[in-house]
Amino acid sequence: MKRVLSYALIAIAALLTAGSALAHHSFAMFDQSKTVTIQGTVKDFRWTNPHVFIQIMVKNDAGVEQEWSIEMTSPEHLARVGWKPVTLRPGDKITLNIHPMHDGSNGGQYLSGIGPDGQPLIGAPTPSQGQAK
Amino acid sequence: MISGRLAFTSAILLCCAASLAAQTRMPDWSGQWEIVGAAPSVSGGFKDSLDQVLKEMQWSPPNKPEVQARVNVIDAEERKRIEAIQRGEDVAVTGPTCTFGFPMIMIDSPLMFEIVPTPKETALIFSGREVRHVYTDGRAHTPKDELWPTPWGDSIGHWEGETLVTDTIAVKSPFPDTGPDFLPILAAGGEAGQAQLVSYLSSQAHFVERIRMVDRDHLEDQMTIIDPVNLTAPWHLTRTYRRVANLHRMVYESCEGDGEDRNPIVNGHYTIRPPRSRATFPTPVPADAPAGQATAPK
Repeated sequence: MKRVLSYALIAIAALLTAGSALAHHSFAMFDQSKTVTIQGTVKDFRWTNPHVFIQIMVKNDAGVEQEWSIEMTSPEHLARVGWKPVTLRPGDKITLNIHPMHDGSNGGQYLSGIGPDGQPLIGAPTPSQGQAK
Repeated sequence: MISGRLAFTSAILLCCAASLAAQTRMPDWSGQWEIVGAAPSVSGGFKDSLDQVLKEMQWSPPNKPEVQARVNVIDAEERKRIEAIQRGEDVAVTGPTCTFGFPMIMIDSPLMFEIVPTPKETALIFSGREVRHVYTDGRAHTPKDELWPTPWGDSIGHWEGETLVTDTIAVKSPFPDTGPDFLPILAAGGEAGQAQLVSYLSSQAHFVERIRMVDRDHLEDQMTIIDPVNLTAPWHLTRTYRRVANLHRMVYESCEGDGEDRNPIVNGHYTIRPPRSRATFPTPVPADAPAGQATAPK
């Protein structure tokens, strides 16, 4: 999946030089108009810069497991709301709400989720600024 | 001999006490801070929508008509880009920088920061590894013939009680190819990191800030921007910073090497990823290679 950075501000350079964009972020690959819910089992939780990824095995309509790659924000941003490198572990059964890929491939932009304990994952869209898990 | 040691020890203690006294006059702004209204979301964008950010900021830059006209043109271009994204077109761009520069680092950045006040200097240290140095030792601004613009400018300041008053000049855009008179001021928000240009400043822009703690968990920066070239009047902004709730140490963004992590943590364990297929830098020259011969990137 294409590497993305989350800072809209950064892209002003492109705006000024190419007159085409205020946002640096490659959110274009995600369909912001759609929200999809997927359920599956965590394969890997990749605590990586510049963005964190959840690799999750999801069964398709034919019952065949496929690997999805779900992109989050940076480790620094996630840590500020209580995420840790071990917040998710292989084998965790989770549910994720995502903006899917435009091209239909198995990936998306993380929005929110339900953890293995049945509780919302940290940083669900609430007015507060994060709940330590 | 003993009295000499006592005198020496006393001198050291007095020195330490004086230093401590000076230090204790500094306000305690320890901890990590984030801009209210610019906090990042877990999805990679911002918690607040762009409309919310604009409303909260109550931004009304006194742009000169010709500046506002150019802002409108650029925003129209941005709207076209957003519409293209909504149609599914990949029109986004990438860039390797984490630099926000001043004043954006203070008014609409998702990066957290620490403030370290000392009697002679206050340092503002940001998680993108940018640092602002505000000298409070009574010096004047750097002489004109020794000064050149940078993305963080030249800052001096003084204390009025527990309020840090700063004065900053010689600021330029951190972005390439923008020229000396286009310092963009943006508002950003939303899941997709949507941004809107609200003004741009010239190289003559002059910034005055009054930074103070309003309560235990909030700091405030009252900023006045004076730019006789692009603004019709001083522009007053107030930004509030909130104490970061869940993190009690500085954690940096990884901006070096295009921010690509070659040593990721996977499932809580340190790992090493295979090299990228396309090398970024030339590989080392073999020891027996002729002088001046470099190995081309693959």
